Amino acid sequence: MCRRNTSGGTILEPVSVDKPASDSSDEVLAARAVAGDASAFETIVERYQGRVFRLACRLTSETDAPDILQETFLQVHRHLPSFRGESQFGTWLYRIATNAALMHRRASARRPSEPLDHFLPRFDERGRHAATPAELQVVSRADELLDRQFLAGKARDVIARMPDIYRDAFVLRDLEEMSTADVARALDIEPAAVRQRVHRARLMLRGYLSDLVGVKS
Amino acid sequence: MKEVACISGVELLMDYLEGVLPPDLRAALEAHVAGCERCAAFVASYRETPRILRDATASTLPDDIEASLKAFVQRFLKDSRPR
Repeated sequence: MCRRNTSGGTILEPVSVDKPASDSSDEVLAARAVAGDASAFETIVERYQGRVFRLACRLTSETDAPDILQETFLQVHRHLPSFRGESQFGTWLYRIATNAALMHRRASARRPSEPLDHFLPRFDERGRHAATPAELQVVSRADELLDRQFLAGKARDVIARMPDIYRDAFVLRDLEEMSTADVARALDIEPAAVRQRVHRARLMLRGYLSDLVGVKS
Repeated sequence: MKEVACISGVELLMDYLEGVLPPDLRAALEAHVAGCERCAAFVASYRETPRILRDATASTLPDDIEASLKAFVQRFLKDSRPR
């Protein structure tokens, strides 16, 4: 189906496969789509549409997500012949979706963002956490303590209000669970910068959750 | 061994969890958290924050958007077919 080239990448070759498209690997589907098999490409779309939609919602908004979804699969189809298997197909497609979302956001009117620094942890004069262990611990149960719909709305809202540099790193690393190395490549920054941004986002969002459950920590 | 306080320990957390903290700082942080109830509670909540927000923002693709994407894809596949 796929042949490894000498540099370690995969050369996709059109092949005839008897298995139904839905059972095939991404790489086989990609090869069939390149060869002009429309149903193979439609299977790729079905396989990834939910994840791309979710990513687009998190990086932009539910209003913008449908456009990003279409743009992503248009770009995937356009660039499929150049996919060489140097990364996993899903990673490659995700990178295209991330770019589509970031490009879309840049082209849109600038949304207001907030520093959210007031949600960072507080310390006393000796450098100890100002909050008690019970107050610090309660955030871990925020999803048990808060109404699900209320939490969903607040979570989407606060992520949308974060400065872009923190939002992008947090969404890709922590919500989409990409590796730090993949996030660094997608955002064109160093892995250390990804860690620094994700860390600050986690601190702010942790403090925000704490505030939501009624504790200042 | 280096001394870590709550305030400096918080700044090391991400690197600690990613496994990129130098061994001496790693040991110092672990020693501090083991003896600090506040930091133990803070670390637990810091680790849970991504999961809570991941679950809370897990949107599902609505049927109408899925249908319109399908129509869009079929249209461009048809248009890109060699004539």
